[in-house]
Amino acid sequence: MESQYKSGSNIGGLESGEKEVAIANKRKMRGWDFVLRFLALGLSLAAAVVLGVNKEKTTVPVSLVPTMPPVNVPVTAKWHYLSAFVFFVVANAIACAHAAISLVLSLASVSGKKGISMVIIFFDLVMVALLFSGVGAALAIGLMGYKGNSHVGWKKVCNAFDKFCDQAAAAISLSTVAALLFFLLVVLAALNLHKKH
Amino acid sequence: MASTYARTPENEKATEPLASEYPKTVATPRHVMAEPREPPRYFAVVEVVLRFLLLASAVVAVVVMVTSKQSKTLVIPISPFQISRTAKFQHSPAFIYFVAALSFAGFYSIITFLFSLHALLKPGYHPKVVSHFVILDVLLLGIMAAATGSAGGVAYIGLKGNSHVQWAKICDLFDDFCKHIGASIAVSLFGSIVLALLIVLSFYSLSKRIPK
Repeated sequence: MESQYKSGSNIGGLESGEKEVAIANKRKMRGWDFVLRFLALGLSLAAAVVLGVNKEKTTVPVSLVPTMPPVNVPVTAKWHYLSAFVFFVVANAIACAHAAISLVLSLASVSGKKGISMVIIFFDLVMVALLFSGVGAALAIGLMGYKGNSHVGWKKVCNAFDKFCDQAAAAISLSTVAALLFFLLVVLAALNLHKKH
Repeated sequence: MASTYARTPENEKATEPLASEYPKTVATPRHVMAEPREPPRYFAVVEVVLRFLLLASAVVAVVVMVTSKQSKTLVIPISPFQISRTAKFQHSPAFIYFVAALSFAGFYSIITFLFSLHALLKPGYHPKVVSHFVILDVLLLGIMAAATGSAGGVAYIGLKGNSHVQWAKICDLFDDFCKHIGASIAVSLFGSIVLALLIVLSFYSLSKRIPK
């Protein structure tokens, strides 16, 4: 609509130069959009996979009777034992799927239909909230596993499951970066709209 | 399309440099204005209402969380001793973060509420900073979602316990505490949704170029 008015009313080198700058600007923005989206896709996929394959078997010494030597008991830690981790993996999978679909959609409609881009921005916003809440939940539970909570008698488990905890921490940091990328995508869209004013 | 909304003289003045680019839209026919559409003030009013809701929910969530302290006296079956146990939100780092984040959200929403109220009362005056509030809104949405998620994760363990890592549930003992925590998280979730609606509204009015 804008460009129609422009081409219809403004004839002259200055205006066309401005228009070229605007188009170049838009193209640059679009390129950033692709890069950020692609990175977000990869990072959220990596976060979901890293936590999704997280499993550790180990043995912990348990002393049944104080005078006897402790007995080694095999224990397993799996990611789906903790509901916060399940939520985290599901949130990251959803974000990954959204990133893939939106990447395809924005590649397919390079001309940029306004409705589709608004829907994509809306879901970007939803992904920001979803990923941040997933990171928050997983981080809170991970911290509980790392430090324990003496007030309610929840013991720490990371002294036994060190690899499990490291992997969970890696997944959480990956997902944090993915959430920040989605945040940047929304900010980019907002600035883009501002520029059109 | 956009300038059909620019009705007040102040707004027309504000869009003067733009108007030279769109000569067609300057002379808006009268009948276009009479279209059965929501007037632009509608958006400003909705924004003020949503920002007030955000402020209210942040304050309520913080107050409910801070007042959640509960003490219980436990009788140990065999021995004659009694022990007193207290549950406070300060016992969990997730709840401390929750209170900090929601306090910040309340503080931020006071400022933006005043700005949007001012914009509603004086339509012409529109500083450039205000239109960039949407970026801070998105940031605050991230902070609030993380707070709700972390508090929710810990509260779920408190409610259900976890047999795999031997974390016993505590909500059967501290029922009042858990009610407070649950209510606070629910209010915070409501606040997050309100904030998301605000952002969507900002984007919508930005894309339609409706002056606030």
